[in-house]
Amino acid sequence: MSNSLLWYTTRGAGAITLVLLTAVVVLGVLSSLRAQSDSWPRFLTAGLHRNLALMTLVFLALHISTAVVDPFTDLGWVAAVIPFSSYYRTFWLGLGVIAFELLVALVVTSLLRNVIGLKAWRAVHWMTYASWPVAVIHGFGTGTDSWSAWLIAITIICGAAVGASALYRLIAGPTDPLAAPRTDFRAAVQKRDL
Amino acid sequence: MNRLLAGPSPAAGAESAASHIGRLGRLPDAGPHFIDTLTQSRIVGRGGAGFAAGTKWRAVATHSRDNAVIVVNGAEGEPQSQKDRLLMSTRPHLILDGAFIAARVLRARGVMLYIGERHTAARDGMMRALAERSEPERALVATQTAPARYVAGAESAAIHLINEGVATPTTMPPFPFERGVDGMPTLVHNVETLAQIALLARHGAPSGTSLITVAGAVAKKGVLEVDSETTVGDVIKLAGGTEGWSRAVLIGGYFGAWADTAAAWDLPLDATGLRNRGLSLGCGVIGVLASNRCPVCEVAGIMHYLANESSAQCGPCFFGLRALADACGRISEKGTSREDIARLNRWAEQVRARGACRHPDGTIMFLQSALVTFAPEFADHRPHVTKLAA
Repeated sequence: MSNSLLWYTTRGAGAITLVLLTAVVVLGVLSSLRAQSDSWPRFLTAGLHRNLALMTLVFLALHISTAVVDPFTDLGWVAAVIPFSSYYRTFWLGLGVIAFELLVALVVTSLLRNVIGLKAWRAVHWMTYASWPVAVIHGFGTGTDSWSAWLIAITIICGAAVGASALYRLIAGPTDPLAAPRTDFRAAVQKRDL
Repeated sequence: MNRLLAGPSPAAGAESAASHIGRLGRLPDAGPHFIDTLTQSRIVGRGGAGFAAGTKWRAVATHSRDNAVIVVNGAEGEPQSQKDRLLMSTRPHLILDGAFIAARVLRARGVMLYIGERHTAARDGMMRALAERSEPERALVATQTAPARYVAGAESAAIHLINEGVATPTTMPPFPFERGVDGMPTLVHNVETLAQIALLARHGAPSGTSLITVAGAVAKKGVLEVDSETTVGDVIKLAGGTEGWSRAVLIGGYFGAWADTAAAWDLPLDATGLRNRGLSLGCGVIGVLASNRCPVCEVAGIMHYLANESSAQCGPCFFGLRALADACGRISEKGTSREDIARLNRWAEQVRARGACRHPDGTIMFLQSALVTFAPEFADHRPHVTKLAA
């Protein structure tokens, strides 16, 4: 495989990963908002969220493996696993490693959700809000294409999508329709001592 | 005699340790082989679910590393049921015997008495009996009050309350025998089940009886101990007969099923026999519908109660039971509409098996049996004329 093909693949897969990851985050926010319409039932949001997350990992694997085997950067597998251990663009690449590892943690805990329990899973899932910005900064900082119009456009669109949905989520407040009745019920059955 | 209520009259209150031991002798020693005896006895849980006790013990024994916990379930949240509190307030030592046999066989490190907050006589009986037990036995026991809510008697709700102070059911797995009180393998048994087990340990054979609460339109409401050949009709006769004609009986309490009184008259109250007919002995309540009560309005009232008892954890239960109860209420108040009947049938199927616990399932069993048994009444219900205040 020619070196430049590897390099193009790394960059292309990175950009696709960013778009997919953004879609996953937005879908996650939408599912926590219980968004739905007549033509878009909630299981569609949940199913897309899960399947796109797994697809993100595929493109991320492509992104990382092509970068590692590329003789020009000569990263080595260690740099792909230990943050800030790469000689090449140490800081920006380190951010990528962190985002990647957070993402792996998210996927693994989601697959093991029945084993680790809902509380632990939820705690880990909050790290999405750390993983996604770190990934964006990594893309912009490392990128060979940082100042090319198409990557700037993608980054802005992705940022706007996540920013808007996160902001809406914040404003919307708690969305669980059972939250109030559940609290009422629990207050009514408060533990009493004999 | 191998009966739960043998011995002094229940009216005499809690039986003393001296009388209990004088009558039945000391608690026999029991080892791991007792689980085989229990399995062969075919004793099933008396709390409502009717699960095989031997299977439950085997599961706890497999998981216990000398750390099992026994929960004595005396929550009795079923509004019409009286038998658990009667047993606690009259035969507390029998229940404690059952709990301590379980503690020995399963090498438990603790026994938790879980008693309904309104059952004060029952609690007093149990506490007085406990004070009469030996020091090592007393040291095993702790107590916890069950809130007077329908779901508080569920196994997982008892464990949830003891662990986290919240008496709402939790999803299973993990099952109580895997991770229960303090994360330990836990055996939760209804008080009557434990009393039956205490008799089994004494006599080597099950009593073959069960406690039944007769409620509704009978002359003498209350608790009866009956054997498995006793029929619905026998129970009604033992309770002094119905006041007038009775249209239907509710067998097994609110999570049981309605049956035509005439058709059910010769039906034996035997857990396995009832199950084979798609019925359930449940918690042992036989509710006799009075001749002057409208079945539709009665069903609507109970549906309203059960919807309100949802712990609001799962959408299908909280919203589904509410919608079903409202539809029943509309038919009751405004009369039959074909749309509401269709909704009841459709929604019932959609709600079933969609909760973390069996609250929706029990309610649906009740409703569907009502829709079959009272089909003519539901098909043509008209609002009752209400008297206007003068």
